[in-house]
Amino acid sequence: MTGDTVTRKEISVVNRDVLVIGGGIAGIQASLDLAEMGIKVHLVERLPSIGGKMSQLDKTFPTNDCAL
Amino acid sequence: MDVGRHPNIRLLAYSEVEKVEGELGDFKVTVRKKARYVDESKCTGCGACAEKCPTAISDEYNLGLANAKAIYRYFAQGIPSTYTINTNFCRNFQAGKKCGVCAKVCQAGAIDYKQQDQVLEVEAGAVILATGYELFDARRIPEYGYGRLPNVVTALEFERFLSASGPTHGHVYRPTDLALKESLPELEKSRQKAFKALEKFEKQFEKTSDEFYPLYEAGELKGEDYEKWAEQVRAFRDLDGEVQARKEKVASLESAHRLAFIQCVGSRDIRFNRYCSGFCCMHAIKEAIIAREHDPQAQVYIIGMDIRAVGKGFEEYRNRGAKESHIEYVRSRVAEITEDKDHSPVIWYEDTKERVVKSLPVDLVILSTACEPSPATRILADIIGLEVNDFGFYATDPSQPLDTSRPGIFVCGCAQSPMDIPESVAQASSAAARAAQVLSGSGTLRLAS
Ligand SMILES: Cc1cc2nc3c(=O)[nH]c(=O)nc-3n(C[C@H](O)[C@H](O)[C@H](O)COP(=O)(O)OP(=O)(O)OC[C@H]3O[C@@H](n4cnc5c(N)ncnc54)[C@H](O)[C@@H]3O)c2cc1C
Ligand code: SF4
Ligand code: SF4
Repeated sequence: MTGDTVTRKEISVVNRDVLVIGGGIAGIQASLDLAEMGIKVHLVERLPSIGGKMSQLDKTFPTNDCAL
Repeated sequence: MDVGRHPNIRLLAYSEVEKVEGELGDFKVTVRKKARYVDESKCTGCGACAEKCPTAISDEYNLGLANAKAIYRYFAQGIPSTYTINTNFCRNFQAGKKCGVCAKVCQAGAIDYKQQDQVLEVEAGAVILATGYELFDARRIPEYGYGRLPNVVTALEFERFLSASGPTHGHVYRPTDLALKESLPELEKSRQKAFKALEKFEKQFEKTSDEFYPLYEAGELKGEDYEKWAEQVRAFRDLDGEVQARKEKVASLESAHRLAFIQCVGSRDIRFNRYCSGFCCMHAIKEAIIAREHDPQAQVYIIGMDIRAVGKGFEEYRNRGAKESHIEYVRSRVAEITEDKDHSPVIWYEDTKERVVKSLPVDLVILSTACEPSPATRILADIIGLEVNDFGFYATDPSQPLDTSRPGIFVCGCAQSPMDIPESVAQASSAAARAAQVLSGSGTLRLAS
């Protein structure tokens, strides 16, 4: 641990939704995991479709499976 | 991808975050949902609009290597599949111009030229940043010639070349060869025009051009009209010759066989980014293997300071590339790329084993450009009030790599630092768990200083 104080802060959770910004593979995975946990997700993507850079790839290492 | 359908996920595509107020457990976020000028609830994604749209624009998804229309879908399997009008090009949005074709052909009545941006308030207990990365602009290294030498491309452009659904349907043709191919219809059109002009004369004087021209040359036919006809005959013959020559050239075109990847373009370079981008060695090997699968004649070089194959099975992947795909790994930092005849690139580098400067002529050069924080990172950091690190990625503490400097705001994927897909996925799952943990009132938090 670094020098910062680490505490179990009492937080008042008014809202249990999560906002995810960015719909690339990372944002998609985070959204799906949360949604599966029963948490409501708002996923904001700047472009007209989600997918991020991965959607532009032909296949992916190390398996050389199709990206999409 | 079931993101578009999951009942717990509300997808706000074509949207941007404008403000984040409140604190952990109670954030109020302002999101601007940009006008697409197409009603998301009506559009079926049929594409009839784009088919009839008269305005061709550069296709951003294919990195400008193909064309799209002013009403477009980002990519074929895109989610959501709603079309979007690019108002920078759509004729309906240009002063003094009119169109409206898409509204006429859309059976669903989805086109709405008067649609407005929507500003939404979203309430959330936690925020996860997954804004990813941008690629280094290779023009910043002028000695590599990107943007100036046509047969020097980036690795992401090369992905599009390799893709069966890409601009070249998976064939690796050099940009100059593609341009030559694409110029053929235009040239044939000019030839056809010239031919039509000849036909007019032939009708008028009831002679074929082949009969006419020798007589004219022999001085037997004089006058302004005959001079014009003769000029037209010469113009046609020139064009005809050019069409034949170009056709032959195009027919003999082969895909690019000699390929060279240049590693660390913008990475591990004190002028730009000191860090290693992590995934480029591996994607160069991957692209080399695929290129060789598409073309057994391909000879691929990967030129870099070293190959960083850090990951489960990655070293084996590297070795398989050498053994089965005959990739040649060259240890060097490339100094310069020049051009030979026919726009073939020549790579100048020091062979660090033999300690001599060498040159390597190839058909196509592929630059493995660095992973950089996107400009959006800085903008969002300012909006939300977050620290970024020396490199411009969202700052995190090594002991809490998912937590940004503001409690309740987490980060994952390449927004945090360069990483490949498996790492991005792992970190995303961690960030999701971390957000859930904090929202359930457990877990430790670093207090904002
Ligand atoms: C040529 C090339 C080949 C590659 N091949 C492989 C491979 O084979 N295997 C592998 O594991 N990795 C590969 N990678 C790496 C891979 O691209 C990344 O690991 C992965 O895309 C990271 O995902 P991400 O979600 O973090 O970022 P991104 O894919 O960049 O997604 C970020 C998303 O956030 C959106 N966004 C950005 N800013 C905002 C904002 N302000 N508001 C809303 N949305 C925003 C973007 O539009 C985008 O959709 C390759 C990379 C390159 C360049
Ligand atoms: S806007 Fe209309 S024509 Fe265009 S894809 Fe959607 S439904 Fe089809
Ligand atoms: S109005 Fe015309 S130019 Fe604009 S998107 Fe529709 S068809 Fe294309």
